[in-house]
Amino acid sequence: MSSDLSPIPPEAEPRLPAPGSRAGRAARWLLARYPVWPIVEHLAEKRVPRHRHSAWYAMGGIVLFFFSVQVVTGILLMVYYDPGQPWQSVQRIVMEIPYGALVRSIHHWAANLMILAIFLHLFSTFFLKAYRPPRELTWVTGLVLAGLAMAFGFSGYLLPWDELSFFATRVGISEIEKAPLVGGFLADLVRGGPDVTVATINRFYPLHVVVLPLLILGLIGAHLTFVQVQGVSEPDSFRALPPEQRKYHKFFGEFLVAEIPVWLALGVLLVALAALAPRALDPEANPAASAPEGIKPEWYFLSQYQALKLFPGSLELLGQALLGLVPLAMVAVPFWDRSIPADARGRLATRLGIAGLAGLVAMTLWGWLS
Amino acid sequence: MTAKEGCVDEGTTGRRGFLALLGGLTAAWLAAAAWPVFRYLSPRPPPDPFAGEGKALVKGIAAAEVARPGQGANGSYGGRGVVVFRTPDGQLRAFDSKCTHAGCNVQFQGDRIYCNCHGGTYDLEGRNVAGPPPRPLTPLQVTAEGESLYVSPVSS
Repeated sequence: MSSDLSPIPPEAEPRLPAPGSRAGRAARWLLARYPVWPIVEHLAEKRVPRHRHSAWYAMGGIVLFFFSVQVVTGILLMVYYDPGQPWQSVQRIVMEIPYGALVRSIHHWAANLMILAIFLHLFSTFFLKAYRPPRELTWVTGLVLAGLAMAFGFSGYLLPWDELSFFATRVGISEIEKAPLVGGFLADLVRGGPDVTVATINRFYPLHVVVLPLLILGLIGAHLTFVQVQGVSEPDSFRALPPEQRKYHKFFGEFLVAEIPVWLALGVLLVALAALAPRALDPEANPAASAPEGIKPEWYFLSQYQALKLFPGSLELLGQALLGLVPLAMVAVPFWDRSIPADARGRLATRLGIAGLAGLVAMTLWGWLS
Repeated sequence: MTAKEGCVDEGTTGRRGFLALLGGLTAAWLAAAAWPVFRYLSPRPPPDPFAGEGKALVKGIAAAEVARPGQGANGSYGGRGVVVFRTPDGQLRAFDSKCTHAGCNVQFQGDRIYCNCHGGTYDLEGRNVAGPPPRPLTPLQVTAEGESLYVSPVSS
């Protein structure tokens, strides 16, 4: 009868809870059925290097925290959101449902802070040079995740069907339309017709609540598995230390325990932001009305918006092509800058990264102020 | 547990206290989030169908359909089901059509009110007389005004 059960590995015995205790019995019951002790041991040994840039290691966890908030508040919004009556149902959530305005505003603020945290995670990973071999695919999956997060932002923005969301979506999709050859077809496919209508909501809604979540959950799984298998990267300055000077935090038990209070505080921050700056619901979209004054994209699309303004008229295609090169260049970075410790190429990558970050911030500010 | 090489091993008592505080804070955080979520998900009570005039229009049945003894029909009032019929001696009657057993809508069958789901049977007074229903049907006051029927609560 017990022949198919796995024996408990001898090295596991001293580290498991006492055999007589409830936890000890449960652990042995599980290990006899799922002999995953090597994985448990691997995770227990996971450690985070201690150095003056260690705080950046928390950014990925902060992104995950905001993502979890989005899952919970998103499911709650789905309970009352009706794609057949988009604006009316959002108005009902805000005006009638207890705490509905709070749930909606938290969903809005957590989305924005998640994108911000993704940018911080991306640039800290870049400047700590954590993308170099063997972590190329962690970097690439991270870039795709950032793209998915922006797709979440774009598709979710339309759903309230107010003036701002209508025109932002119309303008955003018109950028697709300008692409040569397939642009018109793709734009019609995304819109569900030649213009943004309620039919577009019937496309964006399943995209926002089914397709993108499935994709992002799968990719988050891959991204995190890569990190667990390879461990946290160590910057060159840390690797250069003699072994006795390299200090670590255990991930489970030390680093994670220190990150939980940060998450709790961010949860309080979300409630405070939602209370002090609740997300407004503008008048219902009227496809025949003129666009409101001073309309601009969300801040995370401002840099592209401003950059495209620099290529007026027939030059716009050139601008789009150049903007399209940015993500391609970012994907290529770990396959070009591979040397540990950094060589001349690595130092050039850092300088290019600083230039890129400065350009991104400058373009965003310029777009915001203009 | 043995301290890993290079890992910092802190005192266990301070650590235990910190973990307890952290656990308490996390529990308080989750509890604070649970109340808004509970209130958000709690359904609003449905509107009173008799609010305003004290009576509700019956939809789906015209007065002519229940003008003669032995005639009956199913309709709705304020989003709920109603069965209206005229008894063999000419009285107009109405009951909330939700069967008291499992919630199917009952049907007028001349000499009885019958539920097709599990064979629940009521007499023309709405009393449960056979089958599984545990309680009588909820009676309603019905009045005809021109071609329209109205129901109102039975004053007890």
